[in-house]
Amino acid sequence: MVQTANIRRVAVLGAGVMGAQIAAHLVNAGIDTVLFDLPAKEGDANGIVKKAIDNLKKLKPAPFSSAARAEHVAMANYGSDLEQLKSCDLIIEAIAERLDWKLDLYAKIAPFLAPHAILATNTSGLSIGKLAEGVPAELRDRFCGIHFFNPPRYMYLVELIPTAHTAGAQLDALETFLVTRLGKGVVRAKDTPNFIANRIGVFSMLATIHHAERFGIRFDVVDDLTGPRLGRPKSATFRTADVVGLDTFAHVVKTMTDNLPNDPWHSHYQAPAWMQALIEKGALGQKTRAGIYKKEGKDILVLDPKAGEYVASGQKGSDEVKAILKITDPAERFAALRASAHPEAQFLWACMRDVWQYIAYWLGDIAGCARDVDFAIRWGFGWKQGPFEMWQAAGWKAIAAAINEDIAAGKTMASAALPAWVAQRDGVHTPEGSYSAADNSLKPTSSLPVYERQIYPPTVFGDAEPVYGETVFENDGVRMWLRAGDDVPVLSFKTKAHCVGPDVLAGVQKAVKIAEERFPGLVIWHPEAPFSVGADLASMGPAFMTGDFASIENMVHEFQKTSMTIKYSQVPVVGAAQGYAFGGGCEFLMHCARVVAALETYVGLVEVGVGLLPAGGGCKEFALRAAREAKGGDILASLKDYYMAMAMAKVGTSAEEAKEIGYLRESDIIVFNANEILHVAQSQVRALADANYKAPIKPKAFPVMGRSGAATIRGQLVNMLEGGFISKYDYFIGCQIADVVSGGDVEAGTLVDEEWILKLERERFMGLLKKGKTQERIMYMLENNKPLRN
Amino acid sequence: MSKQVQEAYIVAATRTPVGKAPRGMMRYVRPDDMLAHVIKGALAQVPNLDPSRIEDAVVGCAMPEAEQGMNIARIGVLLAGLPNTVGGVTINRFCSSGINAVQMAADRIRTGEADIMIAAGTESMSMVPMMGNKVALNPEIFAKDENLGIAYGMGLTAEKVANQWNVSREDQDAFAVESHRRALAAIEAGKFSDEITPLEVTYRVPNLATGEVELIKKTLTTDEGPRRDTSMEGLAKLKTVFAAKGSVTAGNSSQMSDGAGALILVSERILKEYNLTPLARYVSFAVKGVPPEIMGIGPKEAIPAALRNAGLTKEDLAWIELNEAFAAQALAVIRDLGLESANVNPQGGAIALGHPLGATGAIRAATLVHGMRREGMAGKYGMVTMCIGTGMGAAGIIQSL
Repeated sequence: MVQTANIRRVAVLGAGVMGAQIAAHLVNAGIDTVLFDLPAKEGDANGIVKKAIDNLKKLKPAPFSSAARAEHVAMANYGSDLEQLKSCDLIIEAIAERLDWKLDLYAKIAPFLAPHAILATNTSGLSIGKLAEGVPAELRDRFCGIHFFNPPRYMYLVELIPTAHTAGAQLDALETFLVTRLGKGVVRAKDTPNFIANRIGVFSMLATIHHAERFGIRFDVVDDLTGPRLGRPKSATFRTADVVGLDTFAHVVKTMTDNLPNDPWHSHYQAPAWMQALIEKGALGQKTRAGIYKKEGKDILVLDPKAGEYVASGQKGSDEVKAILKITDPAERFAALRASAHPEAQFLWACMRDVWQYIAYWLGDIAGCARDVDFAIRWGFGWKQGPFEMWQAAGWKAIAAAINEDIAAGKTMASAALPAWVAQRDGVHTPEGSYSAADNSLKPTSSLPVYERQIYPPTVFGDAEPVYGETVFENDGVRMWLRAGDDVPVLSFKTKAHCVGPDVLAGVQKAVKIAEERFPGLVIWHPEAPFSVGADLASMGPAFMTGDFASIENMVHEFQKTSMTIKYSQVPVVGAAQGYAFGGGCEFLMHCARVVAALETYVGLVEVGVGLLPAGGGCKEFALRAAREAKGGDILASLKDYYMAMAMAKVGTSAEEAKEIGYLRESDIIVFNANEILHVAQSQVRALADANYKAPIKPKAFPVMGRSGAATIRGQLVNMLEGGFISKYDYFIGCQIADVVSGGDVEAGTLVDEEWILKLERERFMGLLKKGKTQERIMYMLENNKPLRN
Repeated sequence: MSKQVQEAYIVAATRTPVGKAPRGMMRYVRPDDMLAHVIKGALAQVPNLDPSRIEDAVVGCAMPEAEQGMNIARIGVLLAGLPNTVGGVTINRFCSSGINAVQMAADRIRTGEADIMIAAGTESMSMVPMMGNKVALNPEIFAKDENLGIAYGMGLTAEKVANQWNVSREDQDAFAVESHRRALAAIEAGKFSDEITPLEVTYRVPNLATGEVELIKKTLTTDEGPRRDTSMEGLAKLKTVFAAKGSVTAGNSSQMSDGAGALILVSERILKEYNLTPLARYVSFAVKGVPPEIMGIGPKEAIPAALRNAGLTKEDLAWIELNEAFAAQALAVIRDLGLESANVNPQGGAIALGHPLGATGAIRAATLVHGMRREGMAGKYGMVTMCIGTGMGAAGIIQSL
């Protein structure tokens, strides 16, 4: 068993951007949370905290997993509420980055801390060791750094920084709490300036800025090249700086300027002059609506650093260099970049090369092993692959030789030689562990019990390939498999974005049958997000072209049969979801005995977006659930929100919201760490099986609203249509959904069964499919990956 | 001119203050209690009158269901302590229910079949929302396009009127600002004090710390709706809610409200018998239908009809209480008929004072009767008029005495 119960109540000190958002995420996780700040000089003493919480409600992306969570953050101030600290098990300090202020606060709160309470500081720049020296002696072994990344709900990384005094047990308890309760990825960092992620991530940005200037690459081109094309987030380099805030970025740089005097790269630790100028002008990035980029009307402008003026943006990298970036073999790709004379290629090579030189040089000082560096950059800066992984994947020796050549040729930002260990190795990551330069050894992953919940933990390039069990059954769409010694089989889709086509439908039905014969249940889980983006529209193409609607209707029928097979399976089928669960993916979840969903699961019946309606049992489930919830009363009262969700293609932007909308049920389980959903889902199968699971009893007859219910919904739609909120075709689709969930042209209160509604789903789905406007919507989605409103 | 055997006179008129719905000061006051309260308040104005001689109480209510169901008129009569012999009938024509109650009560007297009648209206929009607790439209509405307007929400019809009569967003907002200004000026000058019967309310507040229910008593004397902070800038920020590219907002629409009003009407015989001073004489009434999708324009047809019935012209009207369902329709009516703005809602209208649907007609009749007397308009004519959902307009005329 993983023990986390010792952290039940948490205080967050400081209601700034980070503190308030950390408090929000604690509340998301159901942790009793109290947020402190200074007493307000006038009015409500908790005015500062109240304002911070109000601001959280408006912030995007949303810090709260549901708007209703906001009221659960308890408000307090240092003036009158310090007594409240006595009942807290963890205190996270997140006030301004001033050593003296932090120490003053520690001294002030020390008498109120419980003897077991952990005090952790969310500093990003100050030395934890220096802070520890000023921490009251009795707190010292319970003090450490806890570095969240912004926005804390969404950024997986938390760096934990112990001091020489920090007790191991406290740190383990904290790590366990962060991993399983808050769903974070913990990297233990050494107490060096900016720790791991910011140290390397910010260096990478400085190197990018440096080389962009040298090679004369425009900022918008830099962002085009250093974003997804390089396996990094869309915000790439300069947009990231704008989001972070240029003042914040400069502050982080200054920490390195001040604290790394003997660093070979020290001369590069400064914000460039153009950035200083922007900061002086108050153009700090997104928060001031102008920074490196600036929005003017509908146009986005970008800074031309030489002229100090904004110019039109949107320029892309050259086709030649973009083609190089498309080369799949990393060794070839980087060799080609280096060999190319194109300045953009030279620029990209130089950026990567200097980062590699930097991480090799500093590995021993800043991180326990190379894996920690890669995880920190992946989880803190959103790179798909960490820098060490990229190096190793591109050929360790070849890259090392190239770096050495460039150092010798004076091309690198600093002349520091690669450390000796680089030449002695073939890479840093091995199946036995990841290289530690500090003690020249290979470090296995953490043995903390909490990680046993992650059956398939995150890996780095060079780790042993994960083994997804032995195949039980496989077709072109799915694979059913079982780990050695395990009893609960897993069904994984093999399709792109786990979309659902004929093979998946047949595969799910077969897998359920096998599970009924041989296993206690079945988990639907895929090694990576999404759960499923729904029906494979492209697979309908051929039938569409030839006008073979009968075969499409047959597929819809199979879809419904699959949903019903999941629902009425003799053994529990548990859906383990993360990421998108749209359309048919959502309908599968609605039919599972139970869903185990990561917090970051985005669920919706979005068929309207492609001019269709939910015809995999989605309308049917909502009609049935509404009838049950009405308990003989007004069905429309229960149904109207479900109806609107479908008609508006509403997406729950967290598993919690999905529950509020009704896509997920109260009995479904939300798991904060997506790496744990398989473990929890299998546990649920075992628990359900152990409780003598029985398939739900098929309802013989349930009441529907009938034609008068459909008319009442139509009344709403008429108002939306006439008010210009929806298109004529939206109205038409809305009426179709209304008819289906109302049970068709029958009188109110008529008793029907599930098959009745499913038949309506099919008929109305096919009716829509034959309409030109639906076909336009489908084509548009396939081509542009976004919905068309026609 | 209509035929009648005797005149009907208004001898008492009162109302509750109007609270905001659904979270205002009267949210826990039941509509039947409000009704009993104003009936008692009206009777208190004519203490000599023998209640047992009251024939019937005609009570307007726009959503007569749930708390307002079970023939609320009769319940209100009994809760007011009137004898069992006094009748009670609940009537509904949505927003004109209150003025229709006056008309029906007056007509009972004018035909000679009754001598004392109560006319009233009551509505708690906090308890029974607009459209009632369960909406159930007739599928036939959607069978033909020409009936679709029946399904239109009121706000959407206001947008249609704004379009058809070219009423701009700025004009609507300015009209709303003026409504609040006039209402506040009237409140400050104490102009509503004659007509309002103060309402005692008790709020039952659970004290979670002590586990006790705390009883907080208040006497409500003033309308809750008017806002001091209303401004063109503030209103301009509000989003349109009924049409994506429309002009009607929560700020230039009437407020949802709770309230009740009651009047006592008698024949000349009763005036003499009890030596009563008449406040006003009932003159005429008219209702006219218009297309449901532009229901707000209803008064445009009803006002001339009521004037014709009375043999009057619009210049004869010294005071018009025109219900401000929406600034858009109020302005369209005022402009189309060429009404004198200063004479329309001189003490503000529903945008500021609120609009408790079926009670509004009775409430505004009380305002009109007392206002005209106070302003020394004896002999002059006043009107209460409003638009009505699904496409009607109503107007009633009185003569101040």
